[in-house]
Amino acid sequence: MVAIIRPDSWNFPLFLHVLGAATVTGATAAAFVGAVLSRRWPWLRRVVARTLLLAVFPAWLLMRLGGAWEDSRSPIGDGSTWLGIGYIVGDAGFVLLIVAMILGAVSVRKAERRWPIQAVAVITGAYFVALLVAMFAMTGKPGS
Amino acid sequence: MDRYHWLLVFHMAGAFMVLGGAMMAGIFNIAALRRERPSEIVVLFRLTRYAVTSILAGMVVTLAFGIWLVADVDYVKWSNSWVIVALILWFVANALGGIGGGRDKRTRQLAEQLAAQGDQPSAELRTRLRDPVSLALSWGSGLAVVAILALMIWKPGA
Repeated sequence: MVAIIRPDSWNFPLFLHVLGAATVTGATAAAFVGAVLSRRWPWLRRVVARTLLLAVFPAWLLMRLGGAWEDSRSPIGDGSTWLGIGYIVGDAGFVLLIVAMILGAVSVRKAERRWPIQAVAVITGAYFVALLVAMFAMTGKPGS
Repeated sequence: MDRYHWLLVFHMAGAFMVLGGAMMAGIFNIAALRRERPSEIVVLFRLTRYAVTSILAGMVVTLAFGIWLVADVDYVKWSNSWVIVALILWFVANALGGIGGGRDKRTRQLAEQLAAQGDQPSAELRTRLRDPVSLALSWGSGLAVVAILALMIWKPGA
């Protein structure tokens, strides 16, 4: 019901937030798949590093800033568990993605080391799952 | 959670599969434009197939749960202009993506052929990768999906 009576002024930030959330999920999946398969095709490390820097992080920014803008306008969910999950996944993403971007760059520069790209695979895989949990929580709003 | 929210979760999951898959396909598509060796382009095209699977499954899920939502809630009608336009755009996105995908398949087959015949950079493959019609079809399909998302949020005419 909330979706249909939402004031127009909330729509643009919500659009940016949802678009950012969906694209950061897809870009994270692309980085994860690339990192896993770079064991067989090492040149994929460069694709992963570029993806993290030029796709995952900008999409994360769109999601996080759009969400903050929406939250500043709408009182819906204030203090709720589902909004808390969204903030945790969003804010944890900043740290995880910075670490992943650094490790992605290291994996390109130090081609003889395998652990940096393996760590990128673990981080992006875990963050992908966290994003799906946040999507479920923020859409289903369990407990509200 | 009530039935409305469960339907919304599955509808949104489908939207994530479509938009996320489109993002993933775009990433591998752009990466393929930057490579020269046919064998590397083949790998990126094969990765794109994961994205296409996600898009196709997501399209079915969004449509199925979208129809269920319209039938289930009182305040959305089949006659709402945003519902009608969203359905038209759903078919447009599928048609553009399907035609673009067919052209990409022929490019992948050429890359596979070249990879098996010495794996040397090819001007023909480069031209096919940068074919403006194929790119317009694929990116146009993505834009149609973003337009559907905008309609779902603004619901003009509701």
